[in-house]
Amino acid sequence: MPSLFTVDHVTQAFPLRDGGTYVALRDIFLDIAEGEFLSLVGHSGCGKSTLLNLLAGLSQATEGGILMNGREITDPGPDRMVVFQNYSLLPWKTVRQNIALAVDNVFPTKPLAERGSIVEHHIQMVGLKPAADKYPRELSGGMKQRVAIARALALRPKLLLLDEPFGALDALTRGNLQQQLMRICEDAGVTTVMVTHAVDEALLLSDRVVLMTNGPEAHIGQILEVPLSRPRSQLTAAEDPSYYSLRAEMVGFLNDQRRARQQRIKPAAAIAANGLEKVNLSIGFIPLTDCAPLVVAREKGFFLRHGLEQVELRREANWKTLENHVRQGVLDAAQMVAGLPYAMTLGLRGQEPLAMATALTLSRNGNAITLHRRFHEAGVSEAAGLKRWITAHPEKRLVFAMVHPASMHNLILRAWLASAGIDPDRDVELIVIPPPQMVATLRAGTIDGFCVGEPWNTRAVREGIGTVIATDTELWNGHSEKVLGVRQEWAGAYPRTHEALVLALLEACRWCDQPENRQELSEMLASPEFVGADPATLSPALVGPFDRGLGQPMADPAMFRFHDGGANAPDRGDAIWILTQLARWGLCSFPDDWEQVADQVQLRELYQRVAEASGSAEALANPVPSLIQLFGSDCLDPSDPVAYLRAHAHPGARALR
Amino acid sequence: MQTVTRTAAHGPATASEPFLVIDGVTKVYPTPTGPYTVLDGIDLEVAEGEFVCVIGHSGCGKSTLLDMVSGFREPTSGEVRVQGERIRDPGPERMVVFQNYSLLPWLSARDNIALAVNNVFPHLKRNGQARTIVDSHLEMVGLSEAAHKKPASLSGGMKQRVSIARALALQPKLLILDEPFGALDPITREELQEELLRIWADQKVTVLMITHDIDEALFLADRVVLMTNGPAATIGEILPLPFPRPRERARLMEMPEYYDLRNHALDFLFRRYAHDVD
Repeated sequence: MPSLFTVDHVTQAFPLRDGGTYVALRDIFLDIAEGEFLSLVGHSGCGKSTLLNLLAGLSQATEGGILMNGREITDPGPDRMVVFQNYSLLPWKTVRQNIALAVDNVFPTKPLAERGSIVEHHIQMVGLKPAADKYPRELSGGMKQRVAIARALALRPKLLLLDEPFGALDALTRGNLQQQLMRICEDAGVTTVMVTHAVDEALLLSDRVVLMTNGPEAHIGQILEVPLSRPRSQLTAAEDPSYYSLRAEMVGFLNDQRRARQQRIKPAAAIAANGLEKVNLSIGFIPLTDCAPLVVAREKGFFLRHGLEQVELRREANWKTLENHVRQGVLDAAQMVAGLPYAMTLGLRGQEPLAMATALTLSRNGNAITLHRRFHEAGVSEAAGLKRWITAHPEKRLVFAMVHPASMHNLILRAWLASAGIDPDRDVELIVIPPPQMVATLRAGTIDGFCVGEPWNTRAVREGIGTVIATDTELWNGHSEKVLGVRQEWAGAYPRTHEALVLALLEACRWCDQPENRQELSEMLASPEFVGADPATLSPALVGPFDRGLGQPMADPAMFRFHDGGANAPDRGDAIWILTQLARWGLCSFPDDWEQVADQVQLRELYQRVAEASGSAEALANPVPSLIQLFGSDCLDPSDPVAYLRAHAHPGARALR
Repeated sequence: MQTVTRTAAHGPATASEPFLVIDGVTKVYPTPTGPYTVLDGIDLEVAEGEFVCVIGHSGCGKSTLLDMVSGFREPTSGEVRVQGERIRDPGPERMVVFQNYSLLPWLSARDNIALAVNNVFPHLKRNGQARTIVDSHLEMVGLSEAAHKKPASLSGGMKQRVSIARALALQPKLLILDEPFGALDPITREELQEELLRIWADQKVTVLMITHDIDEALFLADRVVLMTNGPAATIGEILPLPFPRPRERARLMEMPEYYDLRNHALDFLFRRYAHDVD
C-alpha cells in the first residue's frame, strides 16, 4: 500500500514559563498507508494526543513535518476530521441538524438534495435512523459518539482521527461500539488513526499498533503488526492463536513504561566488591524447566561463593520482552534460546543489530514436539505420517506454535517438517506463542501442535490434550538449547564479573546433572517464584519416566543435559548450524564473515579458562564436528555452510550476501 | 450444597446459612405500559469473607440488585438476608462505594471520613477513638499526607480511596462496590485493584462488586456472576475462579486457565448474551 501520510522525523517542543522548553515528542517517523487503521497507545503524557493534533494540522511541529501525499500539512482541513471523547455536539440541534450543519459548511456549493442525501447516508451508516430527530440529551453516550463519527465521515475526510473516542463509556458498551466502528471504517474505506489506552480495543481495531514511550521526549517504542484476519469480532480475535501473545507484548510494554515512570529506574549503577567490577546483577529467565542453572546458582549459593552478592533473577513473560530488557540494559545477562545471541548480533528481520556474546551453554536438549491428540488417533506417529495427513486434507492449513523465531524450537521444528517434505512456510503456518500459553491455545483448538520446552509438553500430555511425537533425543540429541547471553559491550566492561558469573553457573550446571539432585531440583523449580508448576509436571523430564501420552512412560535420561559430556562448552558447530538455519528460512542474511561472527559471539577462551579453573573434567571445548546430520538427510558440513545453503535455502530466503 | 428453605427466612439465623443469601429475588417496576420486570428470580449465596464480582451489560439490573442488598430498594418478591436477617433498610453494616465517589466537596478527606464515623459511632467521639479510626483508615489507603485536602484537589484515584476508607471505617460486614474504578485511567485502576485486594485480605470483609471489566473481575474475585440481559434478567452463569491468592497480575497472565475463563466470559457476553443497544 502506498503511504498516504508521513510523519517525517517530527519533534514537538513547547516553551516553558521559566524560559526552558518541554520536548513532548522526539524524532517520530511513521508512514501511514491508505485505508490503514492505526492505533497510538501509551500512558498519559506519552504525547499521543500531541501527535494527533499534528496530524490534524491543529499545531505545527517544531522540527520535521507531516506530509499528505507528499505535501506538507500546515493547517486543519475537512480532509482530516477529529472525533473527541466528549462528542462536541451542539445541544440545541438534533442528530440530523448536527450533521447537516457540518455538511452545509464544508460543501456549500453542492445542491441541497445532494447534501441531504449525504446526511441521510451517514445517519444510516451509524445505525441512528430511528434517533435522527432526537437531541443529544436524549441519546446515550454511545449514540452521541456515533453521531460525532457520522458527522466527521460525512465530510469525506481522507483521515479520521479518533482521540479516545470511547473513553467515557463502560468496558462492555465499548465492546459493542468498537464492533460498529470497525464496520463503519471498513465500509467508508477511510484511513484512521486512533488514540487509546485500551489494549483490547487497539488490537481488535488496528492493522498496526504504535506503542509510545513516556514523555518527556516520547518516541515510538515499538510498532506491532496485528495479523488477525478480518472481519474481526471480540470473540474471533480472542480465539485467534496469536491474540494473547500480541496482548502480552502490549501489556508487557505498558507495564515496563509504568514501572519506569513510577520508579524512574535506570539500569542499576555498578557496585564493585570482592575484586569484581559489579556484584549487583539482574539476570533474566523464562519460567521453564531449563532455567534450572540460574535458580540453583542462587538457591545453592554458587553466586555468593564467587562474590556475586546481589543477584536478582528476573522472571520475564516472553522471549521478546527478555530481549528488549537486555537491549535496554535493564538486564545484565539472561538465559537465552540458543539462536538469540546470533539473531541479535545480525539483526533479526531488520532489527537494529546489537553485538552479543555467550561463554556458556546452560543446557542441551529439553524440547519436544507435541501434536493435538487427534493426530495420534488418526495414526500420525512421525513426520512422514504428518505429511500424509496434510496431503489428504488440503482444505486445512495446520498451525504450529513455537516460542521465538531464533529459538531452536523454531529451527529444529522447521528442519523436522522439511525432512518430510512439508514446507514450513507454505504447507503449514508457524506462529510465536509464549511457553505458558501453549497448552491453553492447544486446548482451544486454534493451534494443532507446538514445539516447546518442558514442563509444557508434559502438561499437555497430563491434561490429555496432546501427545509427544518427537523429543530432542530423536530430533537432535545434544544440541545447545539455552545459553548465557550478555551484550558484547557488557562483557568488555565487566570481564571479572563475567568470569565469576560463568564459573558460578558452571558449578550450578554440574549440580543439576547429579542424579541424586534431580528430585530436589523438581521441587525447587516448582516454586511460583521460578516455574510455578506442580512438581509432578516437572519431574517426568528431570527424573523420569517421561510420558508421551502413548502408553507406558519411558526413561529418557538424555531429556535434559546441564553438564555431563561437555555440555557447557560453546560449540562452534552449533553456531554455524544456527547461522545457516537463520539464513535458510530468511530470518537473517547469511554473513560473509560467518566464521568471524561465530567466533566473536562465542567466547570459547573465556569458557576454557573458567572450566579449567573449576577443575571440570570436560574442560576442553568440543572440536568442530565433521558433519551435523539431522533426520538422515539434512546434512551440514560446518566448514562449508554456503554449499548447504545453495542446496537448502528456502525460496523465501533473502539472497545470500 | 445446602438447601435454603423459605422457613429459614422467617425464623432465626440458622448456624449453617451462608453469610449473604439472595433468595428468589424478583424486582418489578410499574410503568405506564404495564409492569416491567427488571430481575427475575435471582438466587445467590455468598460466603463470609468471599469476593464476588457481578458482570453484565448495562440495563441488566446489576445496580438494582445491589440496591436491594444495600437496602435502598425492596424486592417485589423474594428477600435478601445477611447473617439470617432480612434486609429492609440501608445500614452501616453494608456500605456502598459508588463510581462517582459521593464525597462532600466542602469537607477535607479527613472530615468526610470523620463525619461518617461520628454519625455511626457517636459514643466514640467523646473518648477520642473516632480520631484513631479515621487516621488508621486514611493510612490504610495511603492518604495520611493528603488528609487535609478537599475533593477538588484530589485525583480520581485519591477520591475513590477516600470513599473506600470512609466505607471501611464504619466496619461493615459487607462492602458493596458499584463499578468503583470505572472512571479511572488504566494505571490508577490497576493500582487501586491491587490495593483493594490487600485491604480485603487484611479486613476480612465480604465484597460484592459490580464491574463491566472482565479482566478486573478475573483478577479480584473468588467467583464471577454473569448476568443475562434485561428485561427479566437472571444469573446466567457463575464462574468459580481457581487462581491462588495472594494474586499477582503478571502470574495470572501466565495461567492457561486465565485465558479459558476470559474467553468463556467473552463468549457469554458477546455471543450468547450479546447486547446491541448502547
